[in-house]
Amino acid sequence: MVRIILLFLLLCLAPMVRAQKPTDSIQRLDEVVLSDVKLKRYAHGFKVAVLNDSLLKQSTGSFTDVLRFNSTLYFKENGYGMVSSPSFRGTNASQTAVIWNGIAINSQLTGQTDFNTMNITNFKSVEIRSGGGSVQYGSGAIGGSIHLNNTLSFESHFDNTLSLSYGSYNTKNISYLSSYANDKLSFNIGVNYVDSDNDYKYLNTDQRNENGAFNNGSLNANIGYVLSPRNVLKIYHQSFIGEREFSGTISSTSLAKYDDKNFRTMLEWSHQGDKTFSKLKVAHLQEHFKYYGNKNTSNYSFGKVNTYLINYTSDIKLSEELNFKPILSYNYYEGQGSSFGNPNRKEFSTTALLQYQPTDQWEYGINLRQDFTSGFRSPLLFSFDVAYAVSEYYKLKLNGSKNYRVPTFNDLYWQPGGNLDLVPERSYQVDFGQEISYKSAKLSLNAYYIKTSDLIQWQPSASGFWSPENVAKTQNYGAELSLDYTHHVNAHQFSVHANYAYTISEDLETKSQLIYVPYHKANFNLAYNYQKLSAYFQQLYTGEVFTTTENLSGVFYSVEAYTLSNLGISYALFNKKSQQIDLSLKVNNLFNTAYENVAFRPMPDRNFNFQVQYKF
Amino acid sequence: MKKVILSIFTMSLFIVSCTDDDDTISPSEPLGAYEDGIIVSAEGGPSSISFISEDLTTSENQIFYNVNNETTGVYLQSLGFEDEKAYIVVQDGTITVVNRYTFEKLATISTGLTLPRYIAFEDDKAYVSDWGDPIDATDDYIAVIDLNSNTVVSTIAVAEGPEQILEESDKLYVSHSGGYSTNNIVSVINTVDNSVETITVKDVPDEMAINEDGDLVVLCQGGNSWNAIGETTAAIVKIDLSDNSVISTLEFPLGDHPGLMSYEDGVAYYILNNGVYGLTDNATSLPTTSLFDIDASYAYGLSVDDDQLFVTDASFTENSTLLIYDIATGTETNTFSVGVGASKIYFN
Repeated sequence: MVRIILLFLLLCLAPMVRAQKPTDSIQRLDEVVLSDVKLKRYAHGFKVAVLNDSLLKQSTGSFTDVLRFNSTLYFKENGYGMVSSPSFRGTNASQTAVIWNGIAINSQLTGQTDFNTMNITNFKSVEIRSGGGSVQYGSGAIGGSIHLNNTLSFESHFDNTLSLSYGSYNTKNISYLSSYANDKLSFNIGVNYVDSDNDYKYLNTDQRNENGAFNNGSLNANIGYVLSPRNVLKIYHQSFIGEREFSGTISSTSLAKYDDKNFRTMLEWSHQGDKTFSKLKVAHLQEHFKYYGNKNTSNYSFGKVNTYLINYTSDIKLSEELNFKPILSYNYYEGQGSSFGNPNRKEFSTTALLQYQPTDQWEYGINLRQDFTSGFRSPLLFSFDVAYAVSEYYKLKLNGSKNYRVPTFNDLYWQPGGNLDLVPERSYQVDFGQEISYKSAKLSLNAYYIKTSDLIQWQPSASGFWSPENVAKTQNYGAELSLDYTHHVNAHQFSVHANYAYTISEDLETKSQLIYVPYHKANFNLAYNYQKLSAYFQQLYTGEVFTTTENLSGVFYSVEAYTLSNLGISYALFNKKSQQIDLSLKVNNLFNTAYENVAFRPMPDRNFNFQVQYKF
Repeated sequence: MKKVILSIFTMSLFIVSCTDDDDTISPSEPLGAYEDGIIVSAEGGPSSISFISEDLTTSENQIFYNVNNETTGVYLQSLGFEDEKAYIVVQDGTITVVNRYTFEKLATISTGLTLPRYIAFEDDKAYVSDWGDPIDATDDYIAVIDLNSNTVVSTIAVAEGPEQILEESDKLYVSHSGGYSTNNIVSVINTVDNSVETITVKDVPDEMAINEDGDLVVLCQGGNSWNAIGETTAAIVKIDLSDNSVISTLEFPLGDHPGLMSYEDGVAYYILNNGVYGLTDNATSLPTTSLFDIDASYAYGLSVDDDQLFVTDASFTENSTLLIYDIATGTETNTFSVGVGASKIYFN
C-alpha cells in the first residue's frame, strides 16, 4: 500500500515528469486506484498542486485553514467555522468547482461548496487544479477545481489511525480511520466528530463570539471488490451531518442556526479491455439545509436537492502516442424548498478528451464538451493544453479554455426575485506556466488571463426586491508563484513550501477591483523533522480586500490586511514497527493577531490544540 | 493602530470642515456638531448615519462611528427623535440612544425587542413596532419603552407586520405592511388604555402622514405578483381620525407600486417609477402628470422640507447618493455621498 501511494505521489509530484515515461502497468494502477483519471492523464498543461494524506491526517484545524495556508486559494469565511467559500484567481466561490472522486458536488442552490461542511481527514489526497475545467468538470469550473479523492488499492494491508484532540473553546475532535485490503477486497472507512463552543474572544474588545458553537459528524466509507481480473466494483460513500449556530457581527449578535445534511453515494464499475478501460458510474447526491432565524423557536426555512447521475467513460488507447476518452453523462436534479418551490433540471453532456504525446518532450491535449441542459442553451466548450519539457529541469505549460456556469436554483426560482431569463456565465482564459525542478527543489510560476461575461449578480430591482441579472463583465489576470524545497543535514530534514499570488480582478466597466479579492496573498510553511520529532511554522499573509465596489479603504469599505502565524510540534512517543503514538501540540494565531476575514466578523485569538494519534 | 490614525484623520477633517463655520458668530453655544442639518440613515451593511449641514456646505459620513468608535448593527431600520435624544432602531433587536446633537451614545435597549422597525413617542414613553419572529404571523407587537429607564415595560399585541408608527392626540396609528407577508390594516392604539382598533385599508399600507385637515393619509403599495395575495392595486387612503372612517381611496392602475411618500404644506409627494407626483389635500383623484422626474437608479428614501425634495438613490454595494431637488423648478440642486443602503432622511 505504502509503496503504491509513494509511487502515486511520485507521479503527481515528480520533478522530472517526462524523464521516465509511465509504463502501462502504472497507468492501469491509476485507473484502478483513482476514480478521477482525467485529472491525472488529461491535465498535463494545467497547474495541479497536491496535498497528500500525511498533511491532511496531521491537520487538527479546519479544511479551510489547511487550504488557505497551503495553496493560493482565497477563502471568504464568515467567522471561524461559519460558511466558508473558496475562490481561485479572483473569481468567486460559485466559479470554483469542488469534485468528489471525479464528480462535481457544488450546491445546486448556491453554486458554492461550504468547506466547513467537509472533513479533511477522511480524504486520501486533495488536489488543486488551477484554471478553467468546464470541459472536464462541467458548470462552475471557471477559476479552478478542488478535488477530494479517496483511493482503493488492492495491495494487502490493514492500517488504523485513531486521533483524539482537545483545544481552546472546548473544541473536541475524535476521528478514526481504517483501511484494509487483500487482492480481492479493499475498504477504507473514516469517522469523524467535532464539537466546539467556538466562543473565542474578539481581540481589543470585551466581546466574545456568541452564538458560534458547532458540531458535526462525518462518515466516509469506500469499498472495492475485484469481480474478475478485468472487472472491479466500487462503492464510495460520504455523509455529513452538522449543526451550527450562525454567529453575528461585531455590532450585532445573532440567534440564527443552520443545519446541514449532505449524503453522497457512488457506485462504480470498471472494466479493463484490451485497449480500453471503461467505467460506469451511478451516483446519488443529496444536500439538505434548515435555517432557523431564531434557534429558540421551531420556525425554519429549508432547501433540499437530490442529484441523480449516470456517467460512462472509456479510456481508449488509439496508439502509443494517442489516447482518447469520451464521456457521456446524464444528471437529473430535483429541488424542493421554502423559497423556490419544486424545480428540477435535466442535463445531458457529451465530452471528448484527446491526449497526444508524440515525443517524451511534448504533450498535447484537446478537449471538447457540449452540454444539453433543460432551460438553457449551453455553449460548446473547449480546452487545449500543451506541456513541453525543455530539459530535465525545465518545463513549460500552456492551456486555454472556454468555460461556463449555469444559474443556480436560487438564481432562477427564488421567490421573490428568481429570474428565468438568466443565461449561463461564459468565460475564456489562458494560462501559461513554467516549472523548474532541481533535485528536491521545485519552483513553479504561472500567469493567467480570464475574461468572464454575463456574470450573474443580485441587485435591488425597481419593484423593491432583489433579483439576479446577467450584468457584469470582468477580467482577471495575475501571477502565481509556488516553491517547494527540501534540505537534509544529516538526520535533520527541513522543508519549505511557499505560495504567492498577485491578483487583479476587475469590473470591465468601472475598472475597479472586485470586492473580497486581495491583490496579494502569500503563505509560507517551514517543516522540520528529526528522528521522532517534527515541527512546523506557517504564515499566511492576506492583503487588504475591498468590501464595496468603490475601492475605498477604511472600516466601512475594506478589510485590513493581516499576517497570521501558526506553530506546531509533534513527537512520536512510541514507535514500533506496527504501532505508533504521536503527540502533537498546535498553536494557532501565535502572535494573537486581531483580524477579520469578512468585514465586522472577527476571527479567533491565539488558541491551542492538543492531539494524540494512535496508529496500529 | 490604523483605527486610531483613521479617527484622528476623520477628526482633523472635521476640524478643517468646521473652520468655515467659525466665521459666522453664533449667538448661542452650539449644542453639538450635528445640531442643524440633515441626518441620513443607511441600512448597510455596514449600517451608518451621515450628516449634512443645513447650508449644504459640509457633510460627514459614519458620524455614529466617528463619535463612539463602534458601529450600529444589521440592519439600521429607522431613527426617532425626542427632546435632546435620537433613537437608532436596528433590526437586530437593539435601539441605541444617543444625544441627537453630538451623537454620543447614552444607552442601549435590547431586552424585549426582536425585530424592531419604527419608533414614536408620547409623554415619557416610546412605542416601537416589532415584527417578532418574521416567520410567525401571530407574535407581532408594539413594545412600550419607558424613556426614563430605557427599558421595555410592556407590549401591545397587534396583527402581522406592524410598520410605520405615528402619534397624534394620545393615539398611535400603525400601518401594517405585513412584514414577510402582506396585510391591509392600520391599527389605532389608545395610549391611555392600550386598546387596539383596526381600520381596513388597501394592501400593504406603509408611509403615513397627517394632513392639514387633520386626516390620516396612508400610502398602500398594493400586492406584488410574488406575494401570496398576488398583484393588487396600490392606493392612497384618507382616514377621518374623529371616527376612523375611510374618507377616500384613490387607487393606482394595477401594476403601479409607489413606495415612498412625504407630506408638506398641503401636498403629499410620492414617487412612482422615478416621477415625483404631488397630491393636494383637496384632490379627488390622483395626479395624472408628474411634477418632475428624478434621476435615481433605486429611489429608496424620500423626505420633503422647505420646498426641497430629498431622495436617497441607494446602492447596496457602495456608498449611496442623496439627491436634493428644488420642488418649484424640479432641478437637482445638490448631491451628497451617504452610506451603503441609505434609506431614511431626517431634519435635525
